[in-house]
Amino acid sequence: MMDYQLTLEYTLAPGWMKPYADGLFDGKAMARRCSDCQKISFPPTRICCRNPDGEWVALTGQATIDWHTDGMDGAFGLVTFDGADTRSVVRLESLTPNDTRGQLVAPKADTPQLILGKIRE
Amino acid sequence: MSPNNALITGAALTPFNRRKDGSGFRDWAAQAFDAAISMAQIEPGDIDALFVASESDFFSMQLNPAAVLATELGLVGAAATRCEGGGASGQVAVHAAIDSIRSGMSRHVAVVGVDPSASCLAPQTIRTLYGFSFDAWTDGFSGVSSTGLYALSYQAFAAELQTTDADLASVTMQNRAHACENPGAHLPRQDRAHDIMESPAISSPYRRLHCSPLSDGAAVLIISNAAKAPKARAKAPRVAGIGAGTDHMHLGARPAPGFFTAKAKAMARACIQANIKPAEIGLAEIYDAYAGAQLQGLHALGLSQNPARDLRRGDFAKDGRCPVNLSGGLMGQGAPVGATGVGQTATIALQLEGRYHPKLQLEDLPRYALADTHGGICTLAATTLLERGG
Repeated sequence: MMDYQLTLEYTLAPGWMKPYADGLFDGKAMARRCSDCQKISFPPTRICCRNPDGEWVALTGQATIDWHTDGMDGAFGLVTFDGADTRSVVRLESLTPNDTRGQLVAPKADTPQLILGKIRE
Repeated sequence: MSPNNALITGAALTPFNRRKDGSGFRDWAAQAFDAAISMAQIEPGDIDALFVASESDFFSMQLNPAAVLATELGLVGAAATRCEGGGASGQVAVHAAIDSIRSGMSRHVAVVGVDPSASCLAPQTIRTLYGFSFDAWTDGFSGVSSTGLYALSYQAFAAELQTTDADLASVTMQNRAHACENPGAHLPRQDRAHDIMESPAISSPYRRLHCSPLSDGAAVLIISNAAKAPKARAKAPRVAGIGAGTDHMHLGARPAPGFFTAKAKAMARACIQANIKPAEIGLAEIYDAYAGAQLQGLHALGLSQNPARDLRRGDFAKDGRCPVNLSGGLMGQGAPVGATGVGQTATIALQLEGRYHPKLQLEDLPRYALADTHGGICTLAATTLLERGG
């Protein structure tokens, strides 16, 4: 048996998801509206109705928590953002299990994260 | 119609556990391969193609493992392909191998599933890597663990199907009790309900004992064209049907996030090919990455409309109508990821021949048996149905 350490430094590009990823850094929920059925997906889905055409729309960032789970990695929720027709899995921060609503907040780290925090008054 | 000419002529698993003996994944692959090819009663030179299931180079530090294992196993010259489908990698490889037989491309093929999933990397590194096995740009960077996603999906299922923490405990205790009779099992434990409830909370409602472990190990199948199989192996189990399918990678994009629809699709396709109904299946190895996933799987596979009720009345026990996870499942036997699906299919093949571990071997051999594997949060599902030979 031997130990061996490998360090990996990636350069990653979000591609077509750039508006979504950039939005997350600013705490903004950028969603995708299908040009056919008008349904709004967040996180965005490239193809809806077998159709890659759509437009970016900004949601308010407020969401209702449908399910939540707490544990050693923190709290996470399956939530529905206002205006979206899909749910999102998000990290829950500064929210208690009794909270039913939250607001997308910008990540402190240098990665695009879906984080739901307290609604700003 | 696909030809029904693929026989499982050889099947073997190494023990699944955390290796501390200085052995490596090549050793485990070779150990299982030698046993499987001996059972098949063919020679390495008879094998036209090798299919290797290995989930990730992160584990093995070996890119291109198919070519490496072709040399290690004495198969230089054979075609070699590495197959990947997350947790379903093993079953995906089984399907690719069966396709190779059915198409007439190969006379005999070897499927080698192997991963050093337990001993290779630190637990925190593994958790980080597994976070990226869902969509890296949504779930991955947000830091949700595999257990977190499964916990959210299970809660949606439990609300619909009225399953309880007691049912999670029943699944856990049954699978681990089976593992106690499996000498190759990683977690042969005799926990009681309160042990489970007192184990560390991982992601509610899941506690550590509700989770499957990551293991080291290998599993191998030899699959043969029936017309080319040795006479002594003419009554080996036959591949009755295979099916696979996918679901949306985002749990939140699924209209019913508690239901494993990819699994339902895979099962429907396999049953159509086999021309049978789920009720005809008399043995199943189900992908129990978590206790709740077994209940979700039973439902999606059409083996039960009410998994909690059927579990309580013993339908899935060794003497029930459809014994489930007699191996111990992932929760009891363990999960060396690439080997998992291959091992599940090897397990049902050995059962259908009456060659399984004696205390777990069914006395009345069922006609049909099922191996069910998935990757992601059941994002990619693959199902294999075998029929007893004879």
